[in-house]
Amino acid sequence: MKELASTNSAAMRVRAWLLPYLCVLPALGALALWNYYPLAFLMDLSLYRLSASSPAPSWIGLANYRRLFESPLFWQVLSNTAIYTGLAVPLSVGLGLALAVALDQRLKGARLLRTLFYTPVVMPTVAGATIALWIFNTDYGLANYLLGLVGLPPIGWLTDSGYALWTLIAVGVWKTFGYFMLVYLAALQSLPQSVLEAARLDGARPWDRFWSITWPLLRPTTWFAIVIALILSFQAFDFVNIMTQGGPSNATNLLVFYVYQNGFQYFQLGFAAAIAVIMFVLVYGLSGLISLWYSR
Amino acid sequence: MKRAVGRVALYATVLIAAALVAMPMYWLLVSALKPSTEIFTATPRWLPGRIEWRNFRDAWEGAAFGRYFINSIGVTAAILLLQLVTSNLAAFALARRRFAGRGFVLFAVIGALIIPIQVTFLANFITLQHFGWLDSYAALIAPFATSAFGTFLLRQAFLAVPDAIEDAARLDRCTGLAFLWHFLLPLSRPTVVAFVLVALVAHWNDYFWPLIVTNRDEIRTLPIGLAMFVSQEVTTDWNLLMAATLFVAGPVLVVFFLTQRYFIRSHVNTGLKR
Repeated sequence: MKELASTNSAAMRVRAWLLPYLCVLPALGALALWNYYPLAFLMDLSLYRLSASSPAPSWIGLANYRRLFESPLFWQVLSNTAIYTGLAVPLSVGLGLALAVALDQRLKGARLLRTLFYTPVVMPTVAGATIALWIFNTDYGLANYLLGLVGLPPIGWLTDSGYALWTLIAVGVWKTFGYFMLVYLAALQSLPQSVLEAARLDGARPWDRFWSITWPLLRPTTWFAIVIALILSFQAFDFVNIMTQGGPSNATNLLVFYVYQNGFQYFQLGFAAAIAVIMFVLVYGLSGLISLWYSR
Repeated sequence: MKRAVGRVALYATVLIAAALVAMPMYWLLVSALKPSTEIFTATPRWLPGRIEWRNFRDAWEGAAFGRYFINSIGVTAAILLLQLVTSNLAAFALARRRFAGRGFVLFAVIGALIIPIQVTFLANFITLQHFGWLDSYAALIAPFATSAFGTFLLRQAFLAVPDAIEDAARLDRCTGLAFLWHFLLPLSRPTVVAFVLVALVAHWNDYFWPLIVTNRDEIRTLPIGLAMFVSQEVTTDWNLLMAATLFVAGPVLVVFFLTQRYFIRSHVNTGLKR
């Protein structure tokens, strides 16, 4: 009887010891296969020539990278992505902050407005893109009609290479600023009210109160928002693929679309992998720099 | 006086932003309800002259939207189910058990948070090709079998459950997975719901991954179906395109309007942890 109990408890101890490993195994296995292995595989792939014309991979060292750096299109794509990121990040984070501060003032209808501003965030990108195609249609779109009302000539919002990137930035900001508004609202509501109240009693004006108290207190939130916005803007693809296909004349060709184009339209997987590696390094290099600058 | 000016400026900014956000959505709805004759007019009509319900039927029959709908529901449900199982189990072990290598697993989960699919998709495509899974439901589902975001979010919630509750449950012989099921999950309900909603929106809306791995109409999901419909129809029936857009956006927007407090909670949990 006693023996039975002790083997029983030994078995239970083994089970208890094993349990956490069995629990993390499925998640860890999936992350290893679909998130970590691809990173290593991608770097390896970028050293090979692998394309529809030569399906047997051949090792070519850094030739893909050399070709990339010598390609004028790559530099154009990089510059497009820099413009997109350089505008979309401050605009969406800034707009999100401004509206969060405004809605935090117990404005009438604040709850309704909060819902409204967040709606584009949950809206499928395909839906947003289809609406944008219609509104920015050169001949019958609402945008050109409104321009006409104030006496301006129509614009080729998506067909003129001088405007297409700006249109995509506007649509991108429209889709994402609500997310940052909610992040800031959550942060604002958790600020120490006593400090703000003390400043109010001291007679500090709203504008000064914001810059000398609220803004510094929001620093960690701003860091979080900027890094997320940066990652999001580097991922921009859906609007490009549906609305412009990178055109006209590559004016809206952004990094992810460039990877997709080389990998799935020209079937140059090794070359596409090299672009993806560069993209990864850029995003996390920039995020790291921002974090360093913020943690000074 | 100065204060009043500031107040007016504040209202004006908010109202302009509200108009810019609401206008495209209004235009979507109105265009979807207009007859074709009112689409291509020199002066756009702000209200439909008469409501054309037939647009929805014509759009629905214009492409295999029924099939896309079923595919979207099936794929999203399968992903959510898998993620709930894998993420809950992992979060349970990470939050409530001490074991060698726990720090490493947690590090791997947090690290995976910042590896976007836009970087890994080429390699994952080739992996799926090796498996012979391309162009199948498995290709749409398998890469999302777990969620690093969900695992992290649930771990935070499980950590907040006091040890006293686990001790009390143990006296009732409720240990291990039974404790997860009977105590941790019900106690963390708001977080679980928030995670499900965020994942639901992300995968229902996903355009990028299905675009990469599907070639057959029978397994396409709604966003791809809509994008294909748009590329076939462009320059013609905008009223039908807008009606079709409502098929894709409608369900997710309804879910959002009904459950917004949970969405907001998901931000409080992620955006504020610093």
